[in-house]
Amino acid sequence: MRARCIRAVARKEMIHLLRDPRSLALAFLIPLLLVLLFGYALSLDVEELAAAVVDRDCSPESRDLIRRIDASRAFAVRAELETDTALSRAIDAGRVSVGWVVPAGWGAALRAGRPAPLQVLIDGSDPNTGSQARAFAAALIERLNAERRGGRHAGVPPAVEARIRIWFNENLESRTFIVPGILAVILMIAGALLASTAIAREAESGTLETLRMLPLTAGELTAGKALPYVAVAWIDVLAAAVLAWGVFGIAPRAGIAGFLLASFLYILVAVGTGLLLSALAGSQLVATQLAILATYLPSLLLSDFVFPRQNMPSALQALSALVPATYFIDLLNGFYLRGIPASGLWPSFLVLFGMAVALAAGCVWAVRREGF
Amino acid sequence: MNGRCVRELVRKEFLQLFRDRRNRPLLIVAPLLQLILFGYVVTTDVRETRLAVVDESRTPLSRSLIEAFAASPAFRLQASAADARSLEEDLLQRRVDLGIHIASDFAVRLTARRPAEVQLLFDGSLSHLTSQRAAAAQAVIEDWNRRLLSLGSEPRSPAGGGIEGRIRTWYNPNLESRPYFVPGIVAFLVMLLSLLFTSLAIVREKEAGTMEQLIVTPLRPVEFLLGKTIPFFLVAQGQMVLVIGFARAWFEVPLAGSAVFLFAASGLFLVCTLGVGLWISTVSRTQQQAVLTTFLFLVPFFLLSGFVFPIERMPLLVRAAARLNPLAHFLVIVRGVFLKGVGPTVLWPSCLALAGIGAIVFGAALLKFRKRPG
Repeated sequence: MRARCIRAVARKEMIHLLRDPRSLALAFLIPLLLVLLFGYALSLDVEELAAAVVDRDCSPESRDLIRRIDASRAFAVRAELETDTALSRAIDAGRVSVGWVVPAGWGAALRAGRPAPLQVLIDGSDPNTGSQARAFAAALIERLNAERRGGRHAGVPPAVEARIRIWFNENLESRTFIVPGILAVILMIAGALLASTAIAREAESGTLETLRMLPLTAGELTAGKALPYVAVAWIDVLAAAVLAWGVFGIAPRAGIAGFLLASFLYILVAVGTGLLLSALAGSQLVATQLAILATYLPSLLLSDFVFPRQNMPSALQALSALVPATYFIDLLNGFYLRGIPASGLWPSFLVLFGMAVALAAGCVWAVRREGF
Repeated sequence: MNGRCVRELVRKEFLQLFRDRRNRPLLIVAPLLQLILFGYVVTTDVRETRLAVVDESRTPLSRSLIEAFAASPAFRLQASAADARSLEEDLLQRRVDLGIHIASDFAVRLTARRPAEVQLLFDGSLSHLTSQRAAAAQAVIEDWNRRLLSLGSEPRSPAGGGIEGRIRTWYNPNLESRPYFVPGIVAFLVMLLSLLFTSLAIVREKEAGTMEQLIVTPLRPVEFLLGKTIPFFLVAQGQMVLVIGFARAWFEVPLAGSAVFLFAASGLFLVCTLGVGLWISTVSRTQQQAVLTTFLFLVPFFLLSGFVFPIERMPLLVRAAARLNPLAHFLVIVRGVFLKGVGPTVLWPSCLALAGIGAIVFGAALLKFRKRPG
């Protein structure tokens, strides 16, 4: 390994990158776009869900109920409809997701202490929204009942009372875990996707022959090709982390140094994957397709990011253990949410380090196969 | 427009697409692989919440509460922690999602007919799941309470009164993830592949230098773009049939509406994605540029489509941007046909939007495309 040779290859690759300012701009633009979108616009939490009411009772009790529904955090009453058909049309067209139907005589039944049935219709097509809406509707009814009981005669208190405490993400905002977690996806795009064309491009345009003429070893070529992409991804991490902190106030609760080290290892893995695919694929089309298949989707889906691992079938759980993002997400979760120092997270560090070494060796082997 | 010219170019594209042996598996295997991956993984159901319990009471009563949790499909008893400290350690190390702490006076208080407290500690990292898990835990405890009260001599006190919630869920009564997400995956996959292949179609000729040869042929720009698009249109429609068939056979997702209407709508959708792909292809110089530009479109298309993140919960400005997203409109159609079984009478606004976007995007690609070297 001669530093001068590595520098020369890196400089050449950097010129390729700089000569194509749009690719470079995109490599920075896509990550920032993602962080902003996730911070501002995208949420999995149910809040102010569009609701419609059909009030056939029009008693003081039913008016109070509708006020209570509108005042709750989960629902916002958008329309008062006359008939059931109007309600079902509104749900069919997706204008509202929840419908509350108060039958005639509801208030009178409630006053007389008789059972007062209340119909709630929920659009369940989105199971996440649907099941949260169902839980909130049941909780609202439960709360109203408890208030009525408490007002008249204190009935038998419930035998067991649940004291619920939430840790790590006390306000239950999906932004708190998605914004740091998206780093794992960003780096895969910036590192692997960008690097996936690096060697295949030379093979396609025939310039790999020229490189072969040079007194370069396989290790030097790999290191030189990797360096510019590592630098680009590194700037991406810093930009995204600063943006998350500056705009959304989301910052690691512990271990800045650990966070930087973890990002560095993960970048090596991402760029290594891209280069390995690039050397094996032979054409840019195949290399980028493979890079998307092998990096982007698994980091998004199989990494415990939004979809918990324990819900997957066991074969996919085993596959998820091979995805680098799984370990990076674990580290990010540790630093950003749980606030534990790097020393408490050493198993994931170790796995990422092992993957980086293995991929570097794999790249050198693949490049050597090309005749270096 | 010369039909023969277009036909010859289509033939050439098909030859090129299938000649590379490595392309062939990508065309068939990649979409199916991704469908399986997505289909199994993308779920927001509350299942298998890992649970650890500290039982300081160690009585038949406390054990019966633990069993009630273990019997629920939403929870899986992972371990019994020795004390509160090791329970907190389990949560910190992400070994469990929920820790239950039953105090030592649990049974004493219950037999004395006083309320007993049980502490539930949730890992809130995945907020959308945590609120569902909390609701599921509440339900288990309420259920257990009811059983306890009916077992004792005391009947449920002044029964009858109060509001009775009759909650019904439409379209997807069991709130399963698959019927909702699998149709969406079909739409997303077809977009991913059609966008990527077309965006590389013209750039590849530029990079390989064969563009010059095409320029000297008597092809007119419209014929050239049509010849480049028609093969991918056919391949993408073929993939659509393949993926929908596979989704029905493998995941047993029911198709409530009309398949014919679905394919007609997917034709409109493909005009949009192929138009975007062609536009990218005309403005890019290298394949690397084309791939990255494709990603610049793909990521917001995916995120602002309502595929995972509901559009109605986005801020106004972002919601307006989502109106321009062909995937958002197509998802409304796909989900409408698959889940709700509705047809053109309800879905015509989305079809109209797709046609409009497709016309604009294709027109833009045509204007941008010049038969000029370099």
